[in-house]
Amino acid sequence: MNDTLLARFIPEARELLQEAAAGLLTLERHPDDADAINAVFRAVHTLKGSSGLFEVPALTRLVHAGEDLLSAVRIGSFALRPDVVDQLLDSFDQVGVFIEQLEADGRLAADADRIAARGAGLLRAHLGEAEPVAATPDTPLEIAPADWLADIDAASLAAARARADAGETMLVVRYEPDPGCFYTGTDPVASIQTLPDIAALAIAPRAPWARGADFDPYHCNLRLTALTGATRETVEQVMTYELDQVAIRLLSAPPPAVVSAPAPAAPAVPSDGTLPPVAHVLATQSRILGRIGYDPLRLPSTATIIANLLRSLGREARLPAWEAALAEAHRDADVAPLLAFLATLDAAHAPPPAPMAAPVPVAPPTAGEPAAAPHHDGARAPSRTLKVDQGKIDLLMTLIGELVVSKNALPFLARRAEEVHGSRDMAREIKEQYAIIDRLTQEMQGAIMQVRMLPVAEIFDRFPRLIRDIARRLDKQVTLAVEGADTAADKTIVEALGDPLLHIVRNSLDHGIEPPQARLAAGKPAMATVRLRAFQDTDSVVIEVSDDGRGIDPVAIRDIAVAKAVIGRDEADRLSDQEAVNLIYRPGFSTAAAVSDLSGRGVGMDVVLSTVQKLGGRVAVTSQLGSGTTTRLTLPLSMAVTRVMVVDIGGSLYGIPMDMVVQTVRLAPDAIRRIKHDEVCVLRDEVVPLVRMAQRLGVTAATRDGDDDRGEAVLVCRVADRTVGLVIDDFREGMDVILKPMNGILASVPGYCGTTLLGDGRVLLILDLQEML
Amino acid sequence: MTKPATGKRILIVDDGMTTRLYYRSVLEAAGFAVDEAANGLEGLERALLDAFDLLIVDVNMPKMDGYAMIARLRGDSTMHAVPIVTISTEAAGSDADRAYEAGADLYLVKPAAPATLLETARLLTGVAA
Repeated sequence: MNDTLLARFIPEARELLQEAAAGLLTLERHPDDADAINAVFRAVHTLKGSSGLFEVPALTRLVHAGEDLLSAVRIGSFALRPDVVDQLLDSFDQVGVFIEQLEADGRLAADADRIAARGAGLLRAHLGEAEPVAATPDTPLEIAPADWLADIDAASLAAARARADAGETMLVVRYEPDPGCFYTGTDPVASIQTLPDIAALAIAPRAPWARGADFDPYHCNLRLTALTGATRETVEQVMTYELDQVAIRLLSAPPPAVVSAPAPAAPAVPSDGTLPPVAHVLATQSRILGRIGYDPLRLPSTATIIANLLRSLGREARLPAWEAALAEAHRDADVAPLLAFLATLDAAHAPPPAPMAAPVPVAPPTAGEPAAAPHHDGARAPSRTLKVDQGKIDLLMTLIGELVVSKNALPFLARRAEEVHGSRDMAREIKEQYAIIDRLTQEMQGAIMQVRMLPVAEIFDRFPRLIRDIARRLDKQVTLAVEGADTAADKTIVEALGDPLLHIVRNSLDHGIEPPQARLAAGKPAMATVRLRAFQDTDSVVIEVSDDGRGIDPVAIRDIAVAKAVIGRDEADRLSDQEAVNLIYRPGFSTAAAVSDLSGRGVGMDVVLSTVQKLGGRVAVTSQLGSGTTTRLTLPLSMAVTRVMVVDIGGSLYGIPMDMVVQTVRLAPDAIRRIKHDEVCVLRDEVVPLVRMAQRLGVTAATRDGDDDRGEAVLVCRVADRTVGLVIDDFREGMDVILKPMNGILASVPGYCGTTLLGDGRVLLILDLQEML
Repeated sequence: MTKPATGKRILIVDDGMTTRLYYRSVLEAAGFAVDEAANGLEGLERALLDAFDLLIVDVNMPKMDGYAMIARLRGDSTMHAVPIVTISTEAAGSDADRAYEAGADLYLVKPAAPATLLETARLLTGVAA
């Protein structure tokens, strides 16, 4: 149809698929939940309706099969079984794939028809139906335009027409092979000749043949047109692999359907819109009058409709006659006068030869109007929610970031006004203006950050399905309890959390939760519970994954860690139980004897830790042997603004994320000790290794004046659970920055997590200490 | 592109966002003023709140389906004369009679072609093509 419509359809379809899948899971646990089956059915039904607006017969066909099966479940003629739920979920997944294809390419992949036919066949088999091979009835065949038949010789065409007139359905199959088809071993002529019952076959060049040197014998320039008595299904089956290059039309209009003798007052109305609208409206009004008879409450809309129809057609002259008929009907309480009037109109408007209706331009909705209300809150007044593409919000965020940076230039300007131009008044005015702009930008930042907040439900929603699938594969019984799904956090955080959570949950199901027998033997219910909980804690969002499984055995963990050479035996024995549990986050550790397909995949919990730390968060595991494990992720609410400590190293400024900074100290030279080759200092009874940042960055440290007796500037940071002291040249101020990720060739340089612009236009590099140390 | 306003207002009641956008696009391009509701309950409220010249109603919707909504509307005296069209995906209009009994005046099969939709809207609201 058009891009606006497709852009609306794609997110709607995803939402509906999600609803359907969620409903199916509920239904599996509570097969008699009428609300759930209705919700699933309706989502699929709506999806089918919307998909009918686009040329996506494969998608519609698969959805339609799902709808029919669900309809049978809904009316109680078919009972859902787990394997059927699986098939439905698979089908919805496939529809999701189709949606992705549509989004990426604007159309379905070439194999979509075959895949949809197979999927629909599986679903329909449960209903004891064969999948009708026909494409959806929603896309009736059109009549072939005259120029399609130009290639066909007159005699064959006449013969085929005669067959059509005799009531046979004759199809025109037009096949325009891919120009490069000879390279893929396709023989277009042989392909089309496999059609049964070919009445005529014409082969013609698609474009004039190139001459001389331009002629390329390997470029397929053919257009093949066949007339066949085969059914559409057969054609589609025979030419499955070329379907995207094949168009099928009717040779001529189908013979009028035989109408069973209608009751005089109620002519049968083919309600499928095959009648032109005028005739359809008139016939329907007669039918309704005939069925319902005289009903004073029902007549007014009929009165309106016929009067409007007369006006619309410019036949206002007939209005008095209609009104007279209405008056008569009311007087006699009988619809006969109305039917008589309609009959006169009907004759005048017997279906005229339908002119080809010009396509109506589909205009996008006018700008500025609110987008449609999300359809789950109908009980309230229409909501004023706006659906906005995330890219636009990101752009806004970037622009505000630029604004913040430009704003930072004003203090410099004020200083110049005072120092260079000697105008203190001007400097003061600039500072006053700066204060106003500063406040406004802060408010803007706050506002846009609110817009970027997403509920964690965005990621929680995928877990019911996931846990169900994993539990089934492991033969374990698990229910999921979700709390606080409406807790919101910045979109970056919410999106980045998906994979770590997935990993923790997989790990819990794989290693934490025992098989049902073991649980029963341990005196627990066979059904295990995994709990996802989210809540806000001041300026952090906390997400907990807990299970009631076997817990983590610190003794076993120590042994495994030693066996895998993660740590030495001595060190292992010195660890507290809690510290031992934390070993699962060390690289190279995996508690499963064999890396399982589920939680394995070559990554360990250390990836969870590093992802969360990259987001500026923390991970904590607590476990009670025999009764369960809780993993708690604590993350900042927003990533949009990062507070950094600016430091001077070798004459350049660098930023260090403030959430890593523990304290700033100045150390007298004799406070720095040496252990072997490493420098350390002692702070609060802790030995802190020192890192000379200038060396690490490969720059020359500033030579300090002899009379600078403030000592070495040391920034004490907490990096990956270790405390280190960074020896730098000098401390500068802390500041809020909008972090820009490194891009281009800089993206591959390790040790930096991003850049930001300083007020005077210089670039500040933000160090990624974890990567650097 | 957009035709001059017809002065006619149409309410679309359908739970499909894409479908609503489609109807709206076709009808607005022809100069109709269009309002939307996403389910029967919402449609009921909107229809009773405002004076529409035509209602286009989906049959299968959450909260309240099209039949129930139409039946409720027809119980309100201000709604007796307003034309109501139902649109459904049910093949061959098998549920058309049920819609008529609920109070609908016309039945279209989804997806209605733009030309059909537009001409029907014009006929039922008295707008010349």
